[in-house]
Amino acid sequence: MKKKLLTLGLIAVMVGTLFVGCGSKSSETTEVKDATKSADTAKKNDGQLQKVNLQLKWLPQSQFMGYYVAAAKGYYKEEGIDINILPGGSDIIPEQNVYNGVADIGVTWVSSLMNYQTQGYELQEVAQVFQKSGLLLVSKKSTGINAPKDLSGKKVGNWFGGNEYEVLALLEKYKLDKDKDLKLIQQDYTMDQVQGGTVDAASAMTYNELGLLLEKGLAKDDLNIIDMNKEGVAMMEDCLFVNSEWATKNKDLVVRFLRASLKGWADACKDPEAAGKTVYNVDKSVSLEHQVYMAKEVAKLTAPEGFDATKIGQIDMKAIKQTGDFLKLYNPKLAKTPVVDETTFTSKYFDEATKK
Amino acid sequence: MTEKIKNVLWPLGFGILAIVIWQEGFIHKALGFKPFQLPIPSQIVTTLRDNFAKAMSDTMITVSGALVGLALGCLIGFIVAVIATQFPKWGYTGLSVITAFNAIPIVALSPIMNRWFSSGFGQKVGVVTVVCMAAMAINAYRGLNDLKPFAKDLLESYAAPEKVIFFKLRLPNCLPSILTALKINVASAIMAAMISEYFAASTSGIGFGIKDNLRKGMMAMGWSYIFMAALVGIILYLLILLIERRTIKWHASQR
Repeated sequence: MKKKLLTLGLIAVMVGTLFVGCGSKSSETTEVKDATKSADTAKKNDGQLQKVNLQLKWLPQSQFMGYYVAAAKGYYKEEGIDINILPGGSDIIPEQNVYNGVADIGVTWVSSLMNYQTQGYELQEVAQVFQKSGLLLVSKKSTGINAPKDLSGKKVGNWFGGNEYEVLALLEKYKLDKDKDLKLIQQDYTMDQVQGGTVDAASAMTYNELGLLLEKGLAKDDLNIIDMNKEGVAMMEDCLFVNSEWATKNKDLVVRFLRASLKGWADACKDPEAAGKTVYNVDKSVSLEHQVYMAKEVAKLTAPEGFDATKIGQIDMKAIKQTGDFLKLYNPKLAKTPVVDETTFTSKYFDEATKK
Repeated sequence: MTEKIKNVLWPLGFGILAIVIWQEGFIHKALGFKPFQLPIPSQIVTTLRDNFAKAMSDTMITVSGALVGLALGCLIGFIVAVIATQFPKWGYTGLSVITAFNAIPIVALSPIMNRWFSSGFGQKVGVVTVVCMAAMAINAYRGLNDLKPFAKDLLESYAAPEKVIFFKLRLPNCLPSILTALKINVASAIMAAMISEYFAASTSGIGFGIKDNLRKGMMAMGWSYIFMAALVGIILYLLILLIERRTIKWHASQR
């Protein structure tokens, strides 16, 4: 018995030292990291490029054309930045990668970002790339979904994992119970489910999935389209965000990154065709036609008709507030109310970057 | 008796200690985690309590798929083992084929099955069936054939027909192996069902719940599902243990 107790005590001591060891080690490395970071900011004018990792929300495609154009035209280099664009994917979560430091700056949807912010992640939006929602619910005319209320009893698709809030808001608005009145389906990234009939109404981005359907030979007249903007449940989508703590230590870097990126976006919106080609040169996983189609549609979201092109990337706090209100109203599962203020959505870097 | 109590108390004590360490934030301090990265047990429990109806219905969906697949897979595996025993010349090939099936990773199997079946239930059952076949087939085959020395010779010397040898000798001899296979399969069935839900079109089940909530950063809810998965796995395993204790009292492992 005594022996057993002794071993037990030893084990406890060993586990304890292990934990203490790990703990002190990790704090040491972060200190070192911080030191190098601030040193980096200091020597920005030495002609040395500073590395910035940008985490995309999805695969390399024209949805992110502004960054690719800026990189191709050397705008980042002009600002002393060595840009590294990290492609996204179904299990790559920009919020978590930016928070953990895998990436410095990320692209995500505002609704998804807010959800992370309410959990306690200290993330901060610094620019709003898309001024409008690009999400649609698309169905074949034969399914008879002429209005949102016709979704009752149908199979409705979405990608989930933070992309579903607008669809849930739409359902809630039309008093459809997402568990009882219809069937929610996890959509894959092709549009085969619509053609096969596994999904009646599929989520589709104006710039991607809608184009896929049209390219597959369906005519726009064959489709019924529910537009989130028209239904008044639009939430803000692609935005740029950072880890608040990292940003306060690298203010200048954030400003320079924004300046270069916005320049890229302005160019891309002016000439989407060329931007689509630039993206196609980086990643040939989809056809050139599709990249150009996407670029043209994305330009409509980034700089809608009548939008002042010098304001690309600006944060419209009213729209952000609306997104937050919808999240709270239509997604009661959220633990806390989204906070919309200077700590979570800040224009100070944008103002600095666009200052003449 | 005291030995038995000790056997229960020690692991129980360690479990409680681990939970206390977790609850009091020592793990967070040691590894530099924030509470929203790794929720503490009390947070998981309250989240689970608040969403119990949803978690329970999702759990039932996963478990029903897993159990049907388990039954089907075990049945097919057993039949293959019987065929391989009774017709060794050509039946043994079936056993090899099933073993080869076992080498297909679940992550590859699930997307394939999703294209075959339209309903989430069918997809789950399909994956679980394939995963459970091999363990049962191999174990049952061994049980049917590793007979006590001379037992078969003895029966043959009595001119017992194949049928009698099968029911009186092979089948009882096989029972412990079947239960071993069941114990292996119960764990892998739940796991396979959950992984299948990762890729499935359906938006219900434990697998979808874990994946979706972790992607959204809603860790406490994700952990609630993980808790349910662990609980179901343990309950089913205990159930098989109980059956084992009742059915093969005579076997060396139970004495």
